[in-house]
Amino acid sequence: MRGWVPAGLRTGVRTTRYPDAEETAPGVSPGLPRGGRAADGAGGALADRCPTGAIVTEDHGIAVDYRRCVHCFRCARGVPAPPDWQPGYEWAASVRGDAAQPLGPAFARSLRILVVDAGDCGACLREVKQLSGPYYNMHRLGFFVTPTPRSADILVVVGPVTAHMRSPLVQAYEAMPAPKRVVAVGACALSGGVFGPSFASAGGVAGVIPVDVMVPGNPPPPLAILHGLLVVTGRRPSAALRSPAAAPPPAPRAEGAP
Amino acid sequence: MVCAVSEQDGLRDLGAACRERWPQRVHAAYEAARRTWRLECRADALVDLASWLVAERGVSFAGLVVEEAPAEWVLRYLFYGDRDTGWVEIVARCRKPARAMPSISARVHAADWHEREAEDLFGLVFEGHPRLGDFVLHNDVWPEDVGVMRADYDPAVRRPRPEPDPAWQPVRLVEAPGAFWMPVGPIYSGVTESALFLLETVGEDVIRAFPRLFYKYRGIEKIAERRSVDQVLLLAERCAATSAFAHSLAFCQAVEAIAGVEVPARARALRIVLAELERLRHHVGAIEEICESTALAVAASQASILEEDLLRLSGSLTGHRYLFGLNVPGGLTHDLAQGAVRAAADGAAAVVPALRRLREMLGVSSSFVDRLEGIGTISRADALAHGLVGPVARASGVRRDLRVAQPYSGYESLDVLVPAEEDGDGYARLRVLFAEAEESARILAQQAAALPAGPVRAPAFPVAAGAALGWAEAPRGAAFHWVRIGADGLVARYRLVTPSFTNWHGFHLAAENFAFQDFPIILASFGLSAGEGDR
Amino acid sequence: MLPQALLVAFFLACAAGMVLAAVLPDRRAPAAIAWVGAEAAAAALASGGGVLATGHVVQARLWSLAPAGTLVLALDRFSAVFVVVTACVYLAVSLFSAGYLPRYLGHYSLRSFGIAYHALFASVVLVLMAADALSFLLAWEAMAVLSYLLVNYEHEREETVHAGYLMLAMGEAGTLAAALAFLLLAVPAGGLAFASMRGAAAGLGAGARWAVFLLSFFGFGVKAGLVPTSTWLPRAHPAAPGNVSALLSGVILNLGMYGIMRVNLDLLPVASVGPGILALIVGTLSALVGILYATTQTDTKTMLAHSSIENMGIVAAALGAGLVFAASGRPVLAGIADVVALYHLGNHALYKALLFLGAGSVDLAAGERDMDRLGGLIRRMPWTALWFLVGSLSIAAMPPTNGFASEWLLLQTLLRSVELSAVSIRIVFALCGAALALTAALAVTCFVRAFAMSFLGIPRSSASRQATEVPRSMTAAMGLLAAGCLAAGVAATGIIPVLDGAVAPLVHARAAGALVPPFFAPGAGGLPPAFVAEFRDLGAEVGKGIVPGPGLVVLHRGGARNPVVFAMSTAYTLAMLLLLLGAAAGAVAIATRARAVTRRRCWDGGLPRLLPAMTYTATGFSNPVRVIFGAVFHPSAPEDTVEVVAGHFRTAVRRSRPEVHVVDRAVFDPATRAAWRVARALAGMHHGRINAYAAYVLATLLAFLVAGRLL
Repeated sequence: MRGWVPAGLRTGVRTTRYPDAEETAPGVSPGLPRGGRAADGAGGALADRCPTGAIVTEDHGIAVDYRRCVHCFRCARGVPAPPDWQPGYEWAASVRGDAAQPLGPAFARSLRILVVDAGDCGACLREVKQLSGPYYNMHRLGFFVTPTPRSADILVVVGPVTAHMRSPLVQAYEAMPAPKRVVAVGACALSGGVFGPSFASAGGVAGVIPVDVMVPGNPPPPLAILHGLLVVTGRRPSAALRSPAAAPPPAPRAEGAP
Repeated sequence: MVCAVSEQDGLRDLGAACRERWPQRVHAAYEAARRTWRLECRADALVDLASWLVAERGVSFAGLVVEEAPAEWVLRYLFYGDRDTGWVEIVARCRKPARAMPSISARVHAADWHEREAEDLFGLVFEGHPRLGDFVLHNDVWPEDVGVMRADYDPAVRRPRPEPDPAWQPVRLVEAPGAFWMPVGPIYSGVTESALFLLETVGEDVIRAFPRLFYKYRGIEKIAERRSVDQVLLLAERCAATSAFAHSLAFCQAVEAIAGVEVPARARALRIVLAELERLRHHVGAIEEICESTALAVAASQASILEEDLLRLSGSLTGHRYLFGLNVPGGLTHDLAQGAVRAAADGAAAVVPALRRLREMLGVSSSFVDRLEGIGTISRADALAHGLVGPVARASGVRRDLRVAQPYSGYESLDVLVPAEEDGDGYARLRVLFAEAEESARILAQQAAALPAGPVRAPAFPVAAGAALGWAEAPRGAAFHWVRIGADGLVARYRLVTPSFTNWHGFHLAAENFAFQDFPIILASFGLSAGEGDR
Repeated sequence: MLPQALLVAFFLACAAGMVLAAVLPDRRAPAAIAWVGAEAAAAALASGGGVLATGHVVQARLWSLAPAGTLVLALDRFSAVFVVVTACVYLAVSLFSAGYLPRYLGHYSLRSFGIAYHALFASVVLVLMAADALSFLLAWEAMAVLSYLLVNYEHEREETVHAGYLMLAMGEAGTLAAALAFLLLAVPAGGLAFASMRGAAAGLGAGARWAVFLLSFFGFGVKAGLVPTSTWLPRAHPAAPGNVSALLSGVILNLGMYGIMRVNLDLLPVASVGPGILALIVGTLSALVGILYATTQTDTKTMLAHSSIENMGIVAAALGAGLVFAASGRPVLAGIADVVALYHLGNHALYKALLFLGAGSVDLAAGERDMDRLGGLIRRMPWTALWFLVGSLSIAAMPPTNGFASEWLLLQTLLRSVELSAVSIRIVFALCGAALALTAALAVTCFVRAFAMSFLGIPRSSASRQATEVPRSMTAAMGLLAAGCLAAGVAATGIIPVLDGAVAPLVHARAAGALVPPFFAPGAGGLPPAFVAEFRDLGAEVGKGIVPGPGLVVLHRGGARNPVVFAMSTAYTLAMLLLLLGAAAGAVAIATRARAVTRRRCWDGGLPRLLPAMTYTATGFSNPVRVIFGAVFHPSAPEDTVEVVAGHFRTAVRRSRPEVHVVDRAVFDPATRAAWRVARALAGMHHGRINAYAAYVLATLLAFLVAGRLL
């Protein structure tokens, strides 16, 4: 294996500096629409165009439910008044409230993740996989993928939970020792996405096992998933799952021109 | 396209030949606009006709489309020839309440899984098929005789069981003293799609492995019914996100064919740019998986960097890293700036030397090559019989590629080089991936340099009723989207034949008599997606 | 003379057992066999123990037969060792039989079983006591026939009959060879008495010595199950009833070893290194071939039978080492090696009888011996599982069991070959030592597999799922042997001097002083004070008050520069083991006291249910061994038959591995083929012409005349 080590060294460090600094490279995130005021009728038109009902009209504006947004860009392209578009990626939100605290400092440097594919299209899984690659390298933050629930602290679930994957998912969750946290990744895992609840899928993880952190996106970019892992360990603040019409959404670092 | 059909002068005489062979039983009609022979066939001639077409006329099985009409079942067996010959569609009917049809899989083995799926989802019976049941709908989860695709299926009444039936047993094939199953899955190592592999073994050497798929069955074909074209487009994109553009392209082309819409030249050219960008990115990802399966970490990291580079490039070019939300019936949702396309082409071109370097280094890493050579071999005859497609088929010497065989979206004016290998092993598949990735980058650059000007979307057109087939060469192989739009403008039937579905059928051929530690390599070298196959 | 009276009681008990068996109805027979057998065993045990303790030789002159001399019986210490071992095994087997034999009620006659059972016991003791060749051979033949009858007990099954014939035929061939050896000894001695043979041994030439060694080694080697004449053994053991298998391995095999030792240590002590080297190599080969086949067999009893070949090989190797040491003028080392041989022999008898009884219990409870179809029995048969585990640990040579004590001593003894001068011999010792070490490692694999596949995991058949624990008499019998295994290991320092006492008259040296020095006695058996002090600093003295005995550490004394070459203590190991296990259990209990324990099913990847057919089988477990030692097992590749319907649908893949035992392949099959060839060639003479036959007669007559004239 001569040659490989120099080749690796020649490549240099490509790893993002997130969460110490913002990642500004182009193309790392598709962004999300933002709720806000809308001209009369424009809000309704946007809500009508949204195929998953993520956009709803709300006192003279639109609100966006990020659990449902599937990045279809129906609201952004070919309409006279598109909503504001926020480019960031810190979208993950803690949803258990007080029921589950973030995993404490004991888990700060070594956290085992079991990834369960409950019927995703392949994109979320591919983005989770990118986290182990050189660009995102979640190992530097103490996150490691494990193949067995017996040694897992976090269960990352992608996909809308198909009928066939329901029992394996429940079994995996039950096989994990406490304390354990569940991170649902992607619109399908949050709301069923375009597959919705149907005869063949449960329409989201929350209906099957308790979810602690939700990461919106279709698929969420790797940085959003990383944010989800940081939220579950209490190392980054949680974002909101809903962008209301009235107030601007709390965006700790991801502001900037839409 | 390796077809021995040219001496037959295409399929021009097909109608006459059918009349001569099966008088009164087969009625042939040619539809010039779609270059398709439609052969209305009585059930008793079906097997002979289908196997004659494949064996004598050199066409390849594309898929089986089952439609339920109020009084009958309509079964369409789709075949494709090459660029000169076009398509053949056998239409066989089965009047209700009968539900038995002869099975063609013994003679046209590529139809095996299509018949099993139709049996499982529609409750049709294919007489002569040796293995029916427990396929798409797992018998441990779904009660017996639930035909979820039938019009009268009521999801409120026939539900999956909340707890799987513990009495379920897989089919046992290996008979050897002390043989046992090594189950792998459905949840197994690392970041993997859910599928169960039953390795039948007597210890370290595995005698054969069979995949149990459809853990990710989302019922796309069913939930597409009575949805608008716009909504089904979302499903088409998300049946396999790593091939989202190819699938949405095939779907849009089906809708465009029904409506008879001409797609503007710029949109056609941009579609090629994006499809090849997707293919390049997919192949780099597949190479990364193969490197990872052999535990060659540095090579896997190098490929991973390239994949993320291409994902970012896609993201900054189109707004979405997996090219969602671009295709729309009639063209593209929005135009891409000339400069951005150029930049993307340059970015893709920059990947090529890196890929070449990677290929060279891998080629001289004997510990890597040793683990791929002679692993998971599929012979050309097997690949043909199982109708395999994509890089898997091409590595076994079957030069099947829809971009050349049935060109679409402007590929007819391009000179696409289809690389092929003869060895059929894991290393041959890796070499095909490298060669195709490079070819994709070349086409991408060529198209980006000569983009025609003009609109990227045809003027708004009404959705017409009718049915048509759309197809595209997805990164993993041939994808066929058959769409029927009803009079109400909603999708009435959506049939989705994906390359992963086709190739999983042949996976067991490569997974015979191997050492246990080679299994991940065989799996990675196939580069299949469970989600794309399960739908 | 107490031992003498006890012996008489023993023979009377055996006779009573036979009479009772003949008289009582079958349903009362199991209990009678158990009681009378146990009493006979107790008598034999006491008498043998008495001889061992006192050293008095029990002697009895029977009838005087005119041409052959007087039939003499004598029980010396050497024989007493075997009598004690035999009695231990018989004691447990008799108890076991009370629960085991009722399975035959109504199928086979328990009357004949009872008669043969007790008669065999008596004949075995007679073999051990025989002090002249004639009574030895008479008793030997009785033993051979009776053991054949017992093996052939389930005579309605065809494979049993085949196995019985093979055992009888090979055994008789061996007996013939052994008889020839005795004849060779009797010629210079002028009589059949062992005493006169001993006296005349010195006059034998080198050729005759070699002949005696070869005839006795391979003749008795048939019974001991040494390669290449071990073929009968893995067939006879599974064919025999469960309790008889235990006798076969625990008693009958020992007699083969007894014969070899009696002739080559006592009657005609080997004078050159050649025979010892041969015995060492044959023993090592037996051990290796035996354990390789044991590791890959799935029938519990066949597996145990192959393992018996292995253990007899180990004994033969130790004996061979002893012969080499003796011939090289190292009597102390020879004594150690012979002690090891006897020690291992007795240990093997204990744990192999235990394991065979365990296998018999499983067979009785589950009706299944194929490990591929067992599993999960620990929940159904906890006691059998526990005792089988002890037996497995012992045979796998885990400290502090008896198997560890003797195998450790053997390997250390082989290492003492550095004291020999000839380099070639040292190389042979080194190679054999390495092969025996490999054997020991494979034995661990073999018995981890045997225990795990039978008792752990998920039951792989309904037989295994529905098994119930065997009657208490059977578990008690196994418990007795298990206790014996532990005691014989822990009390190594007590046993070694006793065995030394039996061996010392044969090698004319005492090994106990070197092997078990009075470590804590004043003067410490002549060990350098600095060294003893060093050990005391380590805390060796702590145990002095707890574990009685002549010393707690088994040592071998080397030169002045390096006084102690090796040392170990099974007693301390046991103490430490109990201490550590107890501490660990306590620590875990304390640490998890406040924890709530949630039990979930075993993680299987999310399957609906982990099927028994999805767990490792015994075949699968040992497949790597089969692959690595492919040259030994099957030079031919596995044959796959793929069944295909309708062109491409695979409906079945059948894999068969035609396998022929390496010894059959290398020795018996070529021999059979050669015999056939010769027979075919000779058949050409039978062409039916009367004048040709007359010519044959004439030629034969002439040949005899010429030969008579020349000689």
